[in-house]
Amino acid sequence: MKHVLFPVLFAAVFLSGFAPAQAADARAWEKSYVTLEVTYKDYDYSQPWNKPTRTIRKGAVVQPGHEVLTTAQHLPGATLVRLQRGGRGKWYDAQVKWMDPHANLALVTTRDELFWEGLRPAELAEVIPAAPDFNLLRWRDGNLESRRVEFSKFSVREGILSFAPRLTLEVNTELGGLGWAEAVTLNGEMVGLTSTKSGNTCQVIPSSFIRRVLEAQRAGNYRGLGYFDFTWGPGENPATLEFLKLKGPERGAVVTEVLDRPGKESVLKARDLILEVDGFPIDVEGDYEDPDYGHLMLENLATRTRFAGDTIPMKIWRDGAEKTVQYTLPPATYADELVPQQSFGHDPEYVVAGGLVFQPLEQSFLRAWGDDWRRRAPFRLQFYQNEHPSAARPSLVMLSSILPDPINVGYQDVRFLVVDKVNGKTISSLSELTEALQQPKDGVQRIEFMPGDSLQRMLLDAGGLNSATQRVLKRYGIPAAQNVVTPEAKK
Amino acid sequence: MSLQTRPEANPRCPRVSLAWRVLAAIILMMSAPAALAGSPERSVVQILTFSQTPIYDAPWRYDSVRRSGGSGFVIRGRRIMTNAHVIAWAKQILVRRFQDPRPFQARVAFVGHDCDLAILEVEDPSFFEGIEPLEFGPLPAVRSTVVSYGYPAGGEQISYTRGVVSRIEIQPYSHPGHRSLLAVQTDAAINPGNSGGPVIQDDKVVGVAFQGIPGLENAGFFIPPEVIQHFLKDVNDSHYDGFPMAGIRLVPLQNPAYRSFLGVTNDSLGARIDGILPGTAAESRLKPDDVLLDAGGLPVGSDGTVVYQENRMPVSVAFQTPQSGESVKLKILRNRAPMEVDLPVNVYDLDRLAGNQYDSPPRYLVHGGLVFTPLSADYLRTLGRESSDTATAGLVYELYYRRSEDPSKARPEPIVLASTLAHPVNADLGVRARAIVDKINGVKIERLEDVVRALEKNTEGQDVIEFLGRGGFECLDREKAAAANSEILSTYGIPSDRRL
Repeated sequence: MKHVLFPVLFAAVFLSGFAPAQAADARAWEKSYVTLEVTYKDYDYSQPWNKPTRTIRKGAVVQPGHEVLTTAQHLPGATLVRLQRGGRGKWYDAQVKWMDPHANLALVTTRDELFWEGLRPAELAEVIPAAPDFNLLRWRDGNLESRRVEFSKFSVREGILSFAPRLTLEVNTELGGLGWAEAVTLNGEMVGLTSTKSGNTCQVIPSSFIRRVLEAQRAGNYRGLGYFDFTWGPGENPATLEFLKLKGPERGAVVTEVLDRPGKESVLKARDLILEVDGFPIDVEGDYEDPDYGHLMLENLATRTRFAGDTIPMKIWRDGAEKTVQYTLPPATYADELVPQQSFGHDPEYVVAGGLVFQPLEQSFLRAWGDDWRRRAPFRLQFYQNEHPSAARPSLVMLSSILPDPINVGYQDVRFLVVDKVNGKTISSLSELTEALQQPKDGVQRIEFMPGDSLQRMLLDAGGLNSATQRVLKRYGIPAAQNVVTPEAKK
Repeated sequence: MSLQTRPEANPRCPRVSLAWRVLAAIILMMSAPAALAGSPERSVVQILTFSQTPIYDAPWRYDSVRRSGGSGFVIRGRRIMTNAHVIAWAKQILVRRFQDPRPFQARVAFVGHDCDLAILEVEDPSFFEGIEPLEFGPLPAVRSTVVSYGYPAGGEQISYTRGVVSRIEIQPYSHPGHRSLLAVQTDAAINPGNSGGPVIQDDKVVGVAFQGIPGLENAGFFIPPEVIQHFLKDVNDSHYDGFPMAGIRLVPLQNPAYRSFLGVTNDSLGARIDGILPGTAAESRLKPDDVLLDAGGLPVGSDGTVVYQENRMPVSVAFQTPQSGESVKLKILRNRAPMEVDLPVNVYDLDRLAGNQYDSPPRYLVHGGLVFTPLSADYLRTLGRESSDTATAGLVYELYYRRSEDPSKARPEPIVLASTLAHPVNADLGVRARAIVDKINGVKIERLEDVVRALEKNTEGQDVIEFLGRGGFECLDREKAAAANSEILSTYGIPSDRRL
């Protein structure tokens, strides 16, 4: 009897949980939601010359003009991109038309007209309506699955590929394996694309943000995301507001640090109170009242209707008086950080010299320590993330490992050290490193590391360096001694 | 590698205790007491310690009283030698003689936390009646047999375990946490409770059992006679100074190009000085890229090791032999020319907060519910797993990295806002704990006394507390904070607003 009862019960539960409206919603979206397959080069932190490839599948939403919209994740470094409609059948070679990792958005197309036949561009909600739950779409085994996800909140968070904060829709679901640009919909409109999931919370790039970026991109005036390059704290402490001599009701956020950019003085100063940004009053928690989404952190005002280069009026309280300043949004660029989140548009950089492997210090290297990388990656390398770039040292180069060879005997265990100087020249990029290696003195290459408790310097035989490098390349099967991208090319 | 000192298992951890009991029982069944000419066991004592360790994020409080057991042995001068960790933070120390049920009160005469040794005195002179003090022997040879005496967990009576000397090296001492000294590894079982007991060879003490390495089987460690004698000589003047440090970072010099560049001809001798510890005598006498050829008569190998009593080990052993304030004769090569240098070596204590804290309870000041205390390894431990969080990375950097990377900005005693005791006067503060104090009322905070001074001198309406890092600061209403202090102390049961 047990065996008979179970399927009956299961069917009852299944039917009650799969609402007819959802089924209809899924059918309607079969013409607007497609599959994207991306084969991309992965990063091998221990052997950056290696180009292991991975293939993933994610969702994409049909847009006007023979384009599909998806997240930018995995598209930098893509070697093959293909599109599939209907969740099964033929794959169509595709091309990335446009991509912005900071916005985490990309437009992909295919020249094969057959792909576009009968497809229908999806509507993107201008404003995400208040709703207790949404539908989440994904292709599974040739069927478009539509599942209910619960609204959690709107938040302002860094992007998956960028430090620039922006509006994020958070939904709760117990569904696993999300974050592959699944479409989140409501009432026939797309309200967002998923970007990642942690625990039961799935982050969704909201359609209102996507619409604005795409409109600007299509109009040819997308200047990239901007961000506020200052840090602030809440103004909740009345004693602090009194110390800052604020008159009137308690309000505003306290600027604690302003990024010092060479040759460009910020209009803000530490201990300014930010009272208003772009016409929105700022409360003591650092929030403003968004007309569409309620209380949001003031950071959202850098991307809500603005892009990099735009000037935003700010009312501030300084030296006991209110003042209006015009704040120009700096573009979110990876070079703004001493340890960039990552760099795109080129294969991983490295230099192999006499078996010494040098790489730029980037967060992508630290992430090799897995999901818990913030605890597990070498502490000292990580701590550079707390420092700002300077004109003298805009970025860092590290000795990541040593490939044993007679020329480097005595150093084989040295690794994870940040280079200070080579042959007396300060090093902040691999270009500078290769240049400095051309200028040995007294017959030796002199490599000095950052001051501290670890190894401070090593010398290598300059005369034998090139032949040793060739020997190492051959012995370890390395295709080239270096992949160095000039700073100009990175821009 | 993590090390574990070996007082008897904490009775609050029954699983560990049980495991040790079983292990100890097996060992006892397998190894019979060695047939010794004398009766050293009569000089071996059991030590029962009742201790309380401070709580570093609530520094006026102590943890609950902990009972632990260790071993010791009688030495000349009617004294007992044991490990420092056996009697650390003791409120009461009881000692028992061999097969004598009577407990005797003991007190600490000298303690060397860096070498994990202590000397106890017993108030009742009858304790020593009929007990012959044990004599010390030489460093035992590798592969020779030793017997460990002590009172480990698993029973009440004395226990003997026999083993061979496995190796002799410089090892990290887990009790201080940031020091490494000469130590002997043996496969004689050294279990919780063995700590402080003698390791005997030919009726002489050749070591004091002190620690093991969790997960490493048949490996216990004892403190060798060289370290013990150094400690005893140190306290001859009734004051313990500690083991000196050379203040140099020596690295192998094995790369042919580097050896040639520095003019080193012998293929096997000479290691390179890579760095010098600020604040040590080495600063004025040695330079980076000096090649160390000989230290205290011991030729230095290219890997930075010496042969010490037939054992190869790091050259640091040569700098641990003299007493603090004495010198070590060095032969070096500088700019390709041989030189002789007399290097004074001294106890180095600028890194004391990076090691485990003992003897003195933590200093603190409570002001308006804000608890200020020195940043130390013990404070970091109160954060548990969070001590490796990004949010607390600044604390780790300040404690362990700042002094070597940026000595001009290193503070003698970094002060941390350890916690905030909730009260209306501080209820709106955003930063409430785990932040290093940079300035208070414009005064740079380099030690706890600066906090007191900065708060007392203020006449403005607010106390302004600035934190290291991203420019964060908090304000307290000065008059309200001062007025609330006594109420906060009373509410939270704090006996005094400060311990300076």
